[in-house]
Amino acid sequence: MDTTFVLPNSGHHRDDMSSKMGMWLFLFTELLLFGGLFLVYMIYRFKYHDAFLHASYDLNVWFGGVNTIVLLASSMSVAMSITAMQKGNIKLSKNLIWLTIIAAGIFLVIKSFEWSAKFEHGLFPGMEHYNSMGNGERLFFFLYFFMTGLHALHVIIGAIFLYFIIRAIQKQKVRQDKYMFLENGGLYWHLVDLIWIYLFPLFYLIH
Amino acid sequence: MNPGNHDKTTGQEAHVHIVSYKEHASTFLGLILLTIMTVTVSVFGADLYTLTVLTALAIASAKAVVVAMYFMHLKYDPKIYKAMLGVVLVLFIVFIVLTLIDYLIRN
Amino acid sequence: MSTHAPSPDLTFFQVAKGIKSWIFTVDHKRIALLYFYSIVTFFIVGVILGFLMRLELIAPGKTIVEAHTYNQLFTLHGVIMIFLFIIPVVPAIFGNFFLPIMIGTDDVSFPKVNLLSWYLYILGGVLALLTLVVGDGPPDTGWTFYAPYSVKTGTNVSIAVLAAFILGFSSILTGLNFIVTIHRLRYPGMGFFQMPLFAWALYATAWIQVLATPIVGITLLMIVAERVFGVGLFDPSIGGDPILYQHLFWIYSHPAVYIMVLPAMGIISEIIPTFSQRTIFGYKAIAYSSLAIAFVGYFVWGHHMFTSGMSGPARIVFSILTFLVAIPSAVKVFNWVATMYKGSIDVKPPMLYAMAFIFQFLIGGLTGLVIGALATDVHLHDTYFVVGHFHYVMFGGTGFAFFGALHYWFPKIWGRMYNIQWANIAFTFLFIGFNVLYFPMIILGMMGMPRRYYDYLPEFQMLNVISTVGSWVLIFGMIIMIVNLINGYRKGAIASRNPWGGVTLEWQTKSPPPLQNFDKAPEVSEHGPYDFK
Repeated sequence: MDTTFVLPNSGHHRDDMSSKMGMWLFLFTELLLFGGLFLVYMIYRFKYHDAFLHASYDLNVWFGGVNTIVLLASSMSVAMSITAMQKGNIKLSKNLIWLTIIAAGIFLVIKSFEWSAKFEHGLFPGMEHYNSMGNGERLFFFLYFFMTGLHALHVIIGAIFLYFIIRAIQKQKVRQDKYMFLENGGLYWHLVDLIWIYLFPLFYLIH
Repeated sequence: MNPGNHDKTTGQEAHVHIVSYKEHASTFLGLILLTIMTVTVSVFGADLYTLTVLTALAIASAKAVVVAMYFMHLKYDPKIYKAMLGVVLVLFIVFIVLTLIDYLIRN
Repeated sequence: MSTHAPSPDLTFFQVAKGIKSWIFTVDHKRIALLYFYSIVTFFIVGVILGFLMRLELIAPGKTIVEAHTYNQLFTLHGVIMIFLFIIPVVPAIFGNFFLPIMIGTDDVSFPKVNLLSWYLYILGGVLALLTLVVGDGPPDTGWTFYAPYSVKTGTNVSIAVLAAFILGFSSILTGLNFIVTIHRLRYPGMGFFQMPLFAWALYATAWIQVLATPIVGITLLMIVAERVFGVGLFDPSIGGDPILYQHLFWIYSHPAVYIMVLPAMGIISEIIPTFSQRTIFGYKAIAYSSLAIAFVGYFVWGHHMFTSGMSGPARIVFSILTFLVAIPSAVKVFNWVATMYKGSIDVKPPMLYAMAFIFQFLIGGLTGLVIGALATDVHLHDTYFVVGHFHYVMFGGTGFAFFGALHYWFPKIWGRMYNIQWANIAFTFLFIGFNVLYFPMIILGMMGMPRRYYDYLPEFQMLNVISTVGSWVLIFGMIIMIVNLINGYRKGAIASRNPWGGVTLEWQTKSPPPLQNFDKAPEVSEHGPYDFK
């Protein structure tokens, strides 16, 4: 009985490509999750075109635009943090991740300004002003809160993910020769950016 | 690393491709330009309803491709990832098209 | 992560004992069995619900329950059978157990994620059962949760829908695990086209699990949002479109039926070569047909909505696409039969179930074409014809394939053999009971009996009585089957490595397998996976 043979491909060995593939597959599920919402948005924008246009005036293009730039910059910073890690510049890598997290924070702060302004105007589903609006406008605002809210949830999750990566770097579980965790965090973060890239024109730039 | 795995569909070896800081910065600038473009078209564009939506989606998609190819490293990754993403996108587009066939032609 | 490897002389059962070694395992074989016991439990609950439904329908008018309760019965029957039984049964049990072995590796790519999948399954199952005991009781909407009723009814729709959401995640993670496993962990020398067809089936299924499930996930969240906020997403009285709900729901739920049937077809592709002692006919055609079914299957969902109010052109497009998706399925049936031709047929229980599958899947598939055609569907939509159709494919198809797989791989998993004669007897009752239960439904549908109705016209009674009696025969057969298998588990004869003469990798290792799956290096034939010398 040969007890010394070892299976060449083991499910218990580290394999960076498996890790990356798994992450991409997970990103596909996120794409389709939001995709369903985009489908709903598309149908109702088609049906209530004027109401959507009218309702969109309540959104501030500049807030949306700044948030877009903030997220794009955060994508750059997390991509650069991977470069830094590859070059062995651990400190820079960590700082760039911190920058990404800060950008996430800025995004969320701006978002909360936007949202609270709407609450003050009674525009959230269930509030008085909201209930008095027409069907199309109510759908616009519901989709706005649902989609940007779900997106914001992913921003938070992404930021937490990035924080855990910093912790892993500190414990040297992420290093110059082993940084798939960081790459995957970056991939997730870029997804967050990607979703906003579509949310921004669809909600803020209807004209 | 995984010994002995010869996944023919990927052919990736251990040589790591490092994207420079400069490349990332250029990518970012390109994205900013596209963003400015889309805001400009919207704020100053004419009331061309469908065309405006399509233009906005086209610019957004251009940004998405840039983010995917460069920031997400798809350009330099094994083809299998692009293939998989391609399938997902085809799927999603067909969902949209088939659903629209219902809504655009109703009544 | 490297661990000390226990001796391959020990089976995977023997390497650790106690409940904690099961609940916290990362061994794909133990996870498969955790799924097995939980899924079978839910299946039995689903069977009992079906039994009660058939009791109610043995006569017109009230027999044992009120109308509202009957609606809850068929809703819960559907939710349990679909989300807790049919969708996970083959991938989570036999996929988990045998995929790594069949491709010559020692586990899936992400063993801990695999365990998480099971935890999510249990959580979803518990939530589904919770709807029985809290509030206004289980939903009465049908498992399809159509709006606007699902938005307005006071029953526990939100909890049920949340359960389905969590179960969806379980399914997604399993699919994700299998895709990466198949891409990365195949034994050297085993390319994609040297993999067994069961692996191909799981691969195609995994892609559906990953890509289709999120859509129902977000749809279910929208139902909850609609119930909480009353927005008007799907409620026509406030500007919503109920057909949009149906689109979103079926964009997942149609591909879901391919999640249900593709792995079952994979099982048939394994059993038939072994019990014909011949290589499969048209290996590549079957492999490609799995991918084709998965792909085209994404584009046919509108055939559930022909009478809903969709546009005419949409209906025509969906009907054409539906006919297209039948072609790769037919390819498989032809290839299985061709494999049997001039083979050395050994009519053991697994083969009985496989042949029953072909017969029943054929009826299910053909009735599917009848309702896939617009003109006939108008008469048959929401009648018992549809109920007969999907039970033929899901139960007569996947269900029987599951029983077949159980009888095929039983000796490998537990190292013992069951009694063949009693297995044959059980099969006979199952086969007769199944067809007596469901064939009348096809006729009832053509006569015009609607589905999801608690009551019916007197002219439908005779066939309903026959159908109900069929359910008793079926359940009797199931009891015999279960008792026989339990006896085999407890005191059956010790099984050899290869009691059936199979040639895929699982038959090279011990019965039961050791923890690392193999006690010596597996031999991969260069003539493909079905190399019968």
